[in-house]
Amino acid sequence: MKKVSVIGAGHVGATTTYYIAEKNIADIVMLDVLEGVPQAKGLDFSQAAPLRRYGVHIHGTNDYADIADSDVVVLTAGVPRKPGMDRMDLLKINTEIVKGAAHKIAEYAPNSTLIVVSNPLDIMCMVALDASGFALKRVLGMAGILDSTRFRYFVAEKMGVAVTDVHAMVLGGHGDSMVPLPRFTTVAGIPITELLNKDEIHELVDRTRKGGAEIVGYLKTGSAFYAPAASVAEMVEAVLTNEKRIVPAAAYLRGEYGYEALYLGVPIVIGKNGVERIIELELTSEERSVLDRSAQAVKEGMEALRSFYTMAFK
Amino acid sequence: MKKVSIVGSGNVGVNSAFFIAEMGAGHVTLVDVKEGIAPGKALDLMEAAPIRSYRTRIEGSDEIAAIEGSDVVVLAAGRIREPGQDRLEHFEDNASTVREICRKVVKYARDACVIVATEPVDAMVMVTAEATGFDRHKVMGIGGILDSTRMAHFIAARLGVSPRDVTALVVGSHTNQMVPLPYYSRVNGIQIDQLLSPEAVQVIVNETREAGTVIVELSKQANAYYAPSSAIAQVAEAICIDTKKVMPLSVVLDGEYGMSDVALSVPCKVGAGGIEEIISITLRGEDLQDFEASAEPIRQLF
Repeated sequence: MKKVSVIGAGHVGATTTYYIAEKNIADIVMLDVLEGVPQAKGLDFSQAAPLRRYGVHIHGTNDYADIADSDVVVLTAGVPRKPGMDRMDLLKINTEIVKGAAHKIAEYAPNSTLIVVSNPLDIMCMVALDASGFALKRVLGMAGILDSTRFRYFVAEKMGVAVTDVHAMVLGGHGDSMVPLPRFTTVAGIPITELLNKDEIHELVDRTRKGGAEIVGYLKTGSAFYAPAASVAEMVEAVLTNEKRIVPAAAYLRGEYGYEALYLGVPIVIGKNGVERIIELELTSEERSVLDRSAQAVKEGMEALRSFYTMAFK
Repeated sequence: MKKVSIVGSGNVGVNSAFFIAEMGAGHVTLVDVKEGIAPGKALDLMEAAPIRSYRTRIEGSDEIAAIEGSDVVVLAAGRIREPGQDRLEHFEDNASTVREICRKVVKYARDACVIVATEPVDAMVMVTAEATGFDRHKVMGIGGILDSTRMAHFIAARLGVSPRDVTALVVGSHTNQMVPLPYYSRVNGIQIDQLLSPEAVQVIVNETREAGTVIVELSKQANAYYAPSSAIAQVAEAICIDTKKVMPLSVVLDGEYGMSDVALSVPCKVGAGGIEEIISITLRGEDLQDFEASAEPIRQLF
């Protein structure tokens, strides 16, 4: 049986564990620094197994030694932004958390593929890459698949069609500057540009960009975790089964799309080695300029990171 | 739970029941004229139910009256082609079989939607619509959806990617003149011409056209039935669970795409009411001529 470790047993980590368990493809270790929490959730999941029919073992722990020999590690640890906290404070706190976790992951699960979920995503991918010392293709971030599933849901709801009919590509950084691509968003293969008018598409794109914020707006003190966890589980499954799906994810770019030395959401082929291949789409000049803006936002984040963090990575 | 009756318990009928049970889409009644076949297959499937955890009940009967009160009737009866034969070969025989079944459908299940799998499928959709007198939106054929799933397979295989992310669209008649549409064939939204050379796309188009024939030739005696059954189950689920799934299905056209009085596959939104919307897409350049030309072998049968 393959093994997946999920670092962070909060809502995202626990729900990710749940979706992976339902796929019945790997034993799961859920790790958190909070004592008792991962143990409790691990037991609770295990006790649902007879009804839900998953045969995998789920183990909650505070001890990094338990993640030994994981095939995939999902890094969800980090704090959300609290009222009064500025972006720089958040960046510093989560950089410390991600760096510490990445060191441990490199120590105990040196052959794993690392999927980063912590925010700010594109920057935390860089920290995880740097601190783990893993190969480029083995560190990737979950973002585009989440933005795409939100876009897919909004399109399906608007058109009154099955959600499974809708496919979408959302590129760029995971934030307000993400780049939903209506030309590559389809209903049973038909681009939505043939099915909806410009205003309708604009409305759906805008809602997708603000998809995370819309949920925070309702919850006040929390953020989304079902769609994020479902997105992570799809990526984990693709790595474990070497499924070679084409999905948008944050990958380290070395000249692809004209960008160097940063993480950005692009279509990748995901398989047992993590990022098997980066797919370069031909973009229109308009799509190109939106992607440039998004990359610029990530570059600014990288500058902020470098102001207090010295990278070992060359 | 809705009731799906499948008339014809050969490989296509039985595997459709199997897929529907796995999906939990509806209760299934299998019927066949050959005594014992339908009850035997139904019993075998139900004996797998405890292991496979079906919530679906599957019954089998030698009597067509068992279709009474069905929400969906699948026509999976009729003669199938053998190596060297064309799909159009058994038109006369199958048309009379279908007409006979339609009389019973009108008698026992007049509110049902009818899914037509009997070949030649577009012609049988026309025969069924006429013989039942049902609204054309309640009679749909497994044509484009089958050709599309085959094309999606060929795309995934050539790219070496998971078939889950691939959507393909094939319209027109379910004959050698079917119209695969590469522009509307995508991998998670990405046009395949961004991922494959024009030559590779052409190979996929040719593979799609020949797919059914290749299987008949390989297996010597049997038609393809897994992919056709999966298509039937998908449509049955869309009706039973009202999923509003968009699929290319053969339907009698009435002005759509500039065509009338012929059944061809076009993208349809399917829900509890059958075909709830026929979706118009732009057919570019030769595709429109090819679409019109694909109707010819069907028109010639009548």
